[in-house]
Amino acid sequence: MTASVIPLPRRPEAPSRTKRNLTVLATLALLVWALLSVDAELDRLVDLPARLASMFDRMFLPPDWDYFGTAAAAMVASIQMAWIGTLIGAVISLPLGFFGARNVSSGPVSNMVRLFLNAVRAFPELVLAVVVFVPIAGLGPVAGTLAIGVHSVGTLGKLTAEAVEGIDPGPVEAARATGARPLQVQRWGVIPQVLPEVVAFWLYRFEINLRAAAVLGIVGAGGIGQILSNTLEYRRFDKAGMAILIIIVATILIDYISGTVRRRIIEGSGARRIQGDVLEQPELVEVPASPLSERGRAMARVDTDVG
Amino acid sequence: MIDFKNASVTYPGGVHALRDLTLQIPDGEMVVIVGLSGAGKSTLIRAINGLVPLTGGDVTVDGKSVAKARGGELRRIRSRIGMIFQTFNLVKRTTVLNNVLMGRLHATPTWRSLVGRYRPGDVEIAMRALERVGIVEKAYVRAANLSGGQQQRVGIARALAQEPKIILADEPVASLDPPTSHMVMRDLQRINRELGITTIVNLHFLDLAKVYGDRIIGMRDGQLVYDGSGAQADENVFRDIYGRSLTADDVLEAAATR
Repeated sequence: MTASVIPLPRRPEAPSRTKRNLTVLATLALLVWALLSVDAELDRLVDLPARLASMFDRMFLPPDWDYFGTAAAAMVASIQMAWIGTLIGAVISLPLGFFGARNVSSGPVSNMVRLFLNAVRAFPELVLAVVVFVPIAGLGPVAGTLAIGVHSVGTLGKLTAEAVEGIDPGPVEAARATGARPLQVQRWGVIPQVLPEVVAFWLYRFEINLRAAAVLGIVGAGGIGQILSNTLEYRRFDKAGMAILIIIVATILIDYISGTVRRRIIEGSGARRIQGDVLEQPELVEVPASPLSERGRAMARVDTDVG
Repeated sequence: MIDFKNASVTYPGGVHALRDLTLQIPDGEMVVIVGLSGAGKSTLIRAINGLVPLTGGDVTVDGKSVAKARGGELRRIRSRIGMIFQTFNLVKRTTVLNNVLMGRLHATPTWRSLVGRYRPGDVEIAMRALERVGIVEKAYVRAANLSGGQQQRVGIARALAQEPKIILADEPVASLDPPTSHMVMRDLQRINRELGITTIVNLHFLDLAKVYGDRIIGMRDGQLVYDGSGAQADENVFRDIYGRSLTADDVLEAAATR
């Protein structure tokens, strides 16, 4: 009996790597081009540590403690700008989010609302403040607050619309089946499903807006940014150091509080589930893992360095 | 009295879910609809409260045409018809009581429901509905924290809170284990007997259908293929409805012991 040779199936060709190599080359070329064209004085990097040390020395060793009161008051003004701006954004974005959601709104309406939200979102707070609100409201915190509010409408509206699109349609059908009116269906079939996520978005937006408020001061919108820009202009580095200290401490503190509250809102909302006598049918037992609640949870975990 | 007159539903895409169905269900009956999935059971049930619009013929409830009703007229018809779902369809993030109070929305002014200030009388009705299904102690618990059987009872309480004349149940026990299934079916039977509410239940387990169905309606390919008492429905009848011989999957007890 001779050992018969079983023909093995042909081995596949290794896939071409040309594409990958080209991508790497192109990326490198872009990097070189960018480095050359920004004309960075890279040799100055060498004495960067010394400059940083000297600046640190002038700002923080010691900071101007007598300036604490003024700087803290300005920080409070910035926090107020961020808070009121966020409230404006939340109140206006909530109905817009519902109108922008395809499943509860009509096609043409949701398209128009989304177009509007995208347009609003395209303008950063800084641009809105300089171009629109400083000319209207004059220099000061009002302009900054309005700029923050309007930009927040854009982002919060989009997030709300997506949250609404991710809901479980079952309770909505149940509410309609009871003979409830359309507004009642939204109020009791949709809002309880999305509210935890949406409130978490609001808080997260507040954290971002706090940073925006600090920056906006530099273009004359009051608050801690204005203090920073003024003191640096007059080279009072010890006063600037005080302002920076306050910004850092206040931001960390508020991020911590807001983050804790967000986590509680998201995880406290139906995170625990008793499966009990429900059969092992994953698609029925598990809450439909909508992309939004995933995002909501991700946001609850976001750390302080996201601005 | 529910009256189907040559009712047809053709979904976009050409699926005929109901074909020329003529059927009468008098007040107070306990009817079980059986048939394979896709036979039109869900469509039949949803045609009664207008969640699925007819594409031909008519359905009337107490003489009022569901097919022709729009807006407030349709909502008035729906308010007299409670509905129970396979996946319970509760808002899991809110309390049991808020879910049951959904059944009172039809009787609550919009402004009251928007701010969540239900009338004390409506809260009382919701509480009594919870008492009837035996979970009033869970009234202020989040629905997400209940087991499947408890959630389905909340679903029943929500339907009862409407003070309906008719209850529709679309596969109410398909996601529950056998003992819980019997509990939920007994609840429905009790509601039918004690309150005289016409009860129409979709089931695919034949033994449950025989036990709880005073009247059994068999559906196949969108057509009525059997209409008779549960006592008369023997294995041959079910084989006819299903168009194939029966398997262990068609019986709850057998499915449970597998």
